[in-house]
Amino acid sequence: MAEKQNILSAGAAIASRNKRYVVWFWLLNLVLAAIGGTAFSLRAHALLDHSLYASGLVHGFDVGVFLEMLGRPEFGPLRASTAPAMTVAVLFFLLTMIFLPGILQGYASDHHISRAEFFRICGVNLLRFVRLTILFAVIGGIVAGILFGIQSGLIKAADTTSYELLPFNVQLASWIVIILIMTAIRIWFDLAEISVVLTDQPAVRKSLSSAFRQTRKSLARLLSSYVLIAVVGLLVFAVGIWLWHAIVPPASVLGAFLISQAILFSLLAVRFWQRATAVAFYARSAIEQPVEAPSLMAPLPPAPVPSESAQV
Amino acid sequence: MPSLPLKAIQGLFAIMFVAHAIAQVSPPTLSIPSTTLAINSSSPMSQRVVHYEIDAKYDPRSHTLDAAEVLTYHNLTGQALDTFPFHLYLNGFQPNATWIKETKRDSIRDELPEEWDSKYYGSDEIKRFEVDGQGDLTSQLQFIQPDDHNKDDKTVAQVRLPHPIPPDGYVQFKIAFHDQFPETLARTGWNRDFLLAGQWFPKAGVWWHGAWNCHQFHGATEFFSDFGVYDVKITVPQNEVVGASGIQVSNVSNPDGTKTVTYHADDIHDFAWTASPRYKVYEDSFQSSMGPVKLILMMQPAHVNQEERHARILEQTMDRFESWYGPYPYKTITLVDPEHDSAAGGMEYPTFITGETAWWMPKRVYLPEVAVEHEFGHQYWYGMVATNEFEDAWMDEGINSYSEVKVMDSILGPRTSFANLWGVTGGDGEARRDGYISVADLDPIARNGWEYVDYNSYGGITYGKTASVLLTLEGIIGEDTLRQAMRTYFMRYRFTHPTKEDFLKTIEEVSGKNLRWYFDQAFYGSEVLDYEVLRAKSTLVEWYKENLKEKKGETEYNSEVVIHRKGDFVMPVEIAVIFDNGDKVREQWDGKDRWIRFAYTKKAKLVSVEIDPDHKILIDRNNFNNSNLVEGDGKAARKLANYWNFVTQLMAQLLAWWLV
Repeated sequence: MAEKQNILSAGAAIASRNKRYVVWFWLLNLVLAAIGGTAFSLRAHALLDHSLYASGLVHGFDVGVFLEMLGRPEFGPLRASTAPAMTVAVLFFLLTMIFLPGILQGYASDHHISRAEFFRICGVNLLRFVRLTILFAVIGGIVAGILFGIQSGLIKAADTTSYELLPFNVQLASWIVIILIMTAIRIWFDLAEISVVLTDQPAVRKSLSSAFRQTRKSLARLLSSYVLIAVVGLLVFAVGIWLWHAIVPPASVLGAFLISQAILFSLLAVRFWQRATAVAFYARSAIEQPVEAPSLMAPLPPAPVPSESAQV
Repeated sequence: MPSLPLKAIQGLFAIMFVAHAIAQVSPPTLSIPSTTLAINSSSPMSQRVVHYEIDAKYDPRSHTLDAAEVLTYHNLTGQALDTFPFHLYLNGFQPNATWIKETKRDSIRDELPEEWDSKYYGSDEIKRFEVDGQGDLTSQLQFIQPDDHNKDDKTVAQVRLPHPIPPDGYVQFKIAFHDQFPETLARTGWNRDFLLAGQWFPKAGVWWHGAWNCHQFHGATEFFSDFGVYDVKITVPQNEVVGASGIQVSNVSNPDGTKTVTYHADDIHDFAWTASPRYKVYEDSFQSSMGPVKLILMMQPAHVNQEERHARILEQTMDRFESWYGPYPYKTITLVDPEHDSAAGGMEYPTFITGETAWWMPKRVYLPEVAVEHEFGHQYWYGMVATNEFEDAWMDEGINSYSEVKVMDSILGPRTSFANLWGVTGGDGEARRDGYISVADLDPIARNGWEYVDYNSYGGITYGKTASVLLTLEGIIGEDTLRQAMRTYFMRYRFTHPTKEDFLKTIEEVSGKNLRWYFDQAFYGSEVLDYEVLRAKSTLVEWYKENLKEKKGETEYNSEVVIHRKGDFVMPVEIAVIFDNGDKVREQWDGKDRWIRFAYTKKAKLVSVEIDPDHKILIDRNNFNNSNLVEGDGKAARKLANYWNFVTQLMAQLLAWWLV
């Protein structure tokens, strides 16, 4: 328990020390969503701004008004709004993949790395992360496919009984199992990503195999840490939504914006905390098994143009 | 010369022949009972045409039923009848039947899975068809398809009698039949260990306006039958809990592990029943002006915590129907909470309705309340005012949807009668209107139910448009007047089969107004109502002066408002014009021209223009263009855009969370 607290608190400390990454990613998340939401926003303004009927959406949320808005031909098909939103979601994922190596390097360092170093690490590891992501998609996809197949069968079987809650309970239980298994796979790949970056390992399979051994060896410790952080994230989300409802007046756009962004910022921070915890764990493993992770805390190669103002 | 005994024998034969002939034509002992056991009335309330006596045995393992039916029919048509059509609704659940074809064509309620499965098969097979005094006519039965000539449809069978039934005569049919219930696709059938037996027995058509009215079973349409008396015995395994139309008169255990439950019902036109080993039964009561009514609630085990909300809405609904329209005369109302995902929810039969809920249903999402209210409403608009659901679906579904909105709004508030959860609100009237506006120009209300372009149009028009048209009518004749008209219509036409004109003429009579201009467009036509504020602007009167500085309250403006009738539906409208000095002007327009211009010269600028400022018109297809806020206010759009961005950001984070 003490060890778990150690990596959790060590992870929290790392994430806290490097909170600029969360801020940057939150801004990226926000800007991309704003761009992706432009089509929706323009259509909504065109239809609502000069109509008194829109007041049903200001001082509350009248479902009838909202549905009528979605149904109006001049608002356009919903996919015209969802497609850009999905595109920016994918873009955010790609940018996360591109910049993650720099973040991991920053987490593993005891000082702020320079912007140039940050981007150099990102560039060096780009193709490695692409390969890792593809491998995760393949392995995760296969495992998820099998798990969802089993889940579907179980729910179908439960649905043949007369106990109405049984299918739901089966679904809930199987979701928990699926999330735990997928989290274990995510931990494996998170460690592999750290290994790739910190050992400058071009062969991702080597990082994957060493990360697999580490994950297998310390699964309970890592999984419980990840789950604990995720539970914190869920609580933050639930409390945030409740606060949104309880304290933000329906007509306050600014209030809604602030609370919604606070929720999203917190969720992002939670994921960064998980990654920082994985880095902390990796650092501990490196000390315990220096052969597997020889260059973790080694001095970094000198950055081309280090400067205080160029820190990322 | 013939001897005396021979003459006597000849005479005896002659008497026997005549007697036989009379017996064949009209057995003198037949009659329809005048019982009042199941109603709070000392005399029959309907002109009873039929008496069904059915002895049925259900096998839950095979989902089959074998029954003996005795149908006594009283010929009140005023003419001799030699043909009789019968509905065999369960035959609709066969791959080439019209019901299945239309359901598949229109993807009705997503009821029909992609692939046919034998468990969906249903049938109502007549094993023996005998007519009292006329012999076994089983071989004379013929399937007919009066609506679509689909030869594979076996939902209507007709028999021609060797001897016609004279006016005011009686005929008795003795029918042995075998039912195969389908797994519920809609309304009737089994699901797991639950059964809802609706449309389960051979039922005679209705002689209406000089002809038999006996339509095939269609994907969207419902039913039409004559009033009468039902005596039904249902034999099921002893562990089954049974509920049915009418009142239970006995419940007897049999030595073979079954029990026979007997029901009696007066002045109803259909009979449905249900069985499941797991029902939890609750009883309550309601005091009607005609006498006490027993409320029987049959809840699923997972929903027992919702019994109270079901009972409450049922009582509140009965109370409002009683005071607004007239008394509920039956001694029972059975509310069935059907098996989950059984497609048997939200259905009405005389004195027997099914609700619709789920174990997770939030208290402030009023779907179960709407379902119970709506189905109880059908006790009036279908059950007692027994309109032709095939041809005039709007007269039961639409009038009932209007009543539903009024009742739900009176109980839960006009803008919150459908949902009021976490700041998200929805009114039942809006929900009905939303169903209509997307199909507004496809079909008129007055159309045979199976002739709509598709099920969406059927639903949107019969339910949504009718409700919206009647709510709009309140704005023309007044809410109280329309309620009085509805009451008059109910009291005048209960226990009969009124037509659309009976309804419309009653409204004109009670309101004292000629409303043909409205009825012709709203009920008989498919004209769409859509008014818009085409233009609303203020310009300087002295626009030509150089360096003119605008001062509020001093500078003079010419303001112009143009109202445009975009649709073909012509209706007088009111327009509210508001200026920035607080002046409010109300204008009237008959709507006959395509547009009208209002011009003002004031020391004030336009703030807003609104058509129908009191929101009396619910059939306008587009509410957004009914007003113009000249300066604009982007608050609503910004609020929605923030929600949209929140969801987008969340999706992006989740994608990145899991994939990298």
